[in-house]
Amino acid sequence: MSASASARELGLELPPPPSRLASTLTAVIVGAVVLWATAGLPIDWSDLGAIPGEILHYGALMFADPNWEKLPRALFETWRSISMAWIGAILCVLVSIPLGMLAARGVGPAWIRLPLRGVFAVIRAVPEVIIALLLLTVTGLTPFTGALALGIAGIGTQGKWVYETIESVEEGASEAVRAAGGGPAEVTRWALWPAAAPALMSFALYRFEINIRTSAVLGLVGAGGIGSMLANYTNFRQWDTVGMLLIVVVVATMTIDAISGAIRRRITQGARVRGIRRSSKGRQDVVGIR
Amino acid sequence: MSQALSRYTLPARPHTRGRTALIVLAVVTFTVATCIPAIGGIELDFGAIIRNWSNGSGLLAQFLQPDFSFLPRTIGPMLETLQMAVVGAFFAALVSVPLTLWAAVPTNPHAISRRLVRAVINVIRSVPDLVYATVLVAIIGVGVLPGVLTLLLFDIGIVVKLVSEAIDSADHAYMEAGRAAGGTQTQINRTTALPQTWPLFANQWLYTLELNVRISAILGIVGAGGIGRLLDERRAFYAYDDVSVIVLEILVVVVLIEVFSNYLRKRLT
Repeated sequence: MSASASARELGLELPPPPSRLASTLTAVIVGAVVLWATAGLPIDWSDLGAIPGEILHYGALMFADPNWEKLPRALFETWRSISMAWIGAILCVLVSIPLGMLAARGVGPAWIRLPLRGVFAVIRAVPEVIIALLLLTVTGLTPFTGALALGIAGIGTQGKWVYETIESVEEGASEAVRAAGGGPAEVTRWALWPAAAPALMSFALYRFEINIRTSAVLGLVGAGGIGSMLANYTNFRQWDTVGMLLIVVVVATMTIDAISGAIRRRITQGARVRGIRRSSKGRQDVVGIR
Repeated sequence: MSQALSRYTLPARPHTRGRTALIVLAVVTFTVATCIPAIGGIELDFGAIIRNWSNGSGLLAQFLQPDFSFLPRTIGPMLETLQMAVVGAFFAALVSVPLTLWAAVPTNPHAISRRLVRAVINVIRSVPDLVYATVLVAIIGVGVLPGVLTLLLFDIGIVVKLVSEAIDSADHAYMEAGRAAGGTQTQINRTTALPQTWPLFANQWLYTLELNVRISAILGIVGAGGIGRLLDERRAFYAYDDVSVIVLEILVVVVLIEVFSNYLRKRLT
């Protein structure tokens, strides 16, 4: 308004405003896709008005007076889910660290690296739950096989994290070991491992956090643990127990996330130095997980 | 060598042995505790797997021979899955904008409302996706709607958390300019914070679309619509040659969406 007027008074030409064609086109395309998707879904939209009321109604049934009598059983089942997640994480990490290292550029030869990366990519592309489900039908639906399934289904992502971490390690230490006459094994042990270990341990704990959620999901399809209990009581329509179980799931997950997150910060950023202020830049340089 | 070294005093090696032993002990104790069935741990029973393996190996063999004549029947459910993913991501995107501004420090100076929104988001995030789907299916009934609602909740959690943290950690000189010009918080948010955060938002929205395709593929397992329902049905019939077609199709679609979304995200940044 006044800015452009005064600019013109001074005899200055304002640059032309940037073209809005691209953003308009994007908006039209997104709008069309969303309309197509919304119209195509078999949803009775007239029911939608009743949904908030129903959710409130059932929410009240669940949380107004949760049934705490079943709490001991719920804690037992929670520990089973945690166990599944932990054993699964250990298996996943034990397999993916050596395989991921072999898949890193500069460690494994190409004929082993490329197939391994292919395997990781395929496992990554299929949702974990589907891999776990398929494995479970072959090995039987028990918590132990659930842990095995978690371990195998996580290898895709974990392996990728491992080789990306190894590849991001600075070259200097490896060169020093090589100059001192070390072969690939020595380079891995004395240059790559010390540099990558904190990040790898942090990723291992992160896998545990992910598994906590996935193990509850596996429970829903029958592998045992808190998920199975939740599925059962949902089928029985015992809403007060379902409410209690949901509370247990939320509290357990948040507690484990908090503990594991604190340990991960300690591993990747070191102990907090007392009395010395770190620059904020230094903190940003530290490897962390987003 | 040692002569030359002895002129300098080497620093003492750090004493970490005790600490390492403690860490190892803690990890081992935890692992052992997870393997005690009496307190809820899991029973390490390799024998059962071997016994089951003879039953399951036939299924696995069937799985490795996909029956592609089943493919036409999977197209409809797959489209439904994609539509669910799009609808969930779109409505989550709409809701996420005000919630994100509410949850970030620079855009919402009121501690109470900010903490409240953050607490709600954290609770939403700590419930696994399929658990939502199970409960919502029980409330609303089998169909697509509980699936879409699940995706909506899940996406809101992710977008609000990641974008509000990004806003928190960014530099906000431009917002100070808005404040100095006497703008109200709403005006400042609209004219300075939002234009700066659109790329972040768009990035996360595409990411949630990607995740939605993965999740909506499995939502059907608990009755929330999409291709998962077909997968679960064929699995229940032990028609593993059909299951393998579905899994391959999911794999292809997930990879395509990932490539597409990565391309768009590179363009954005």
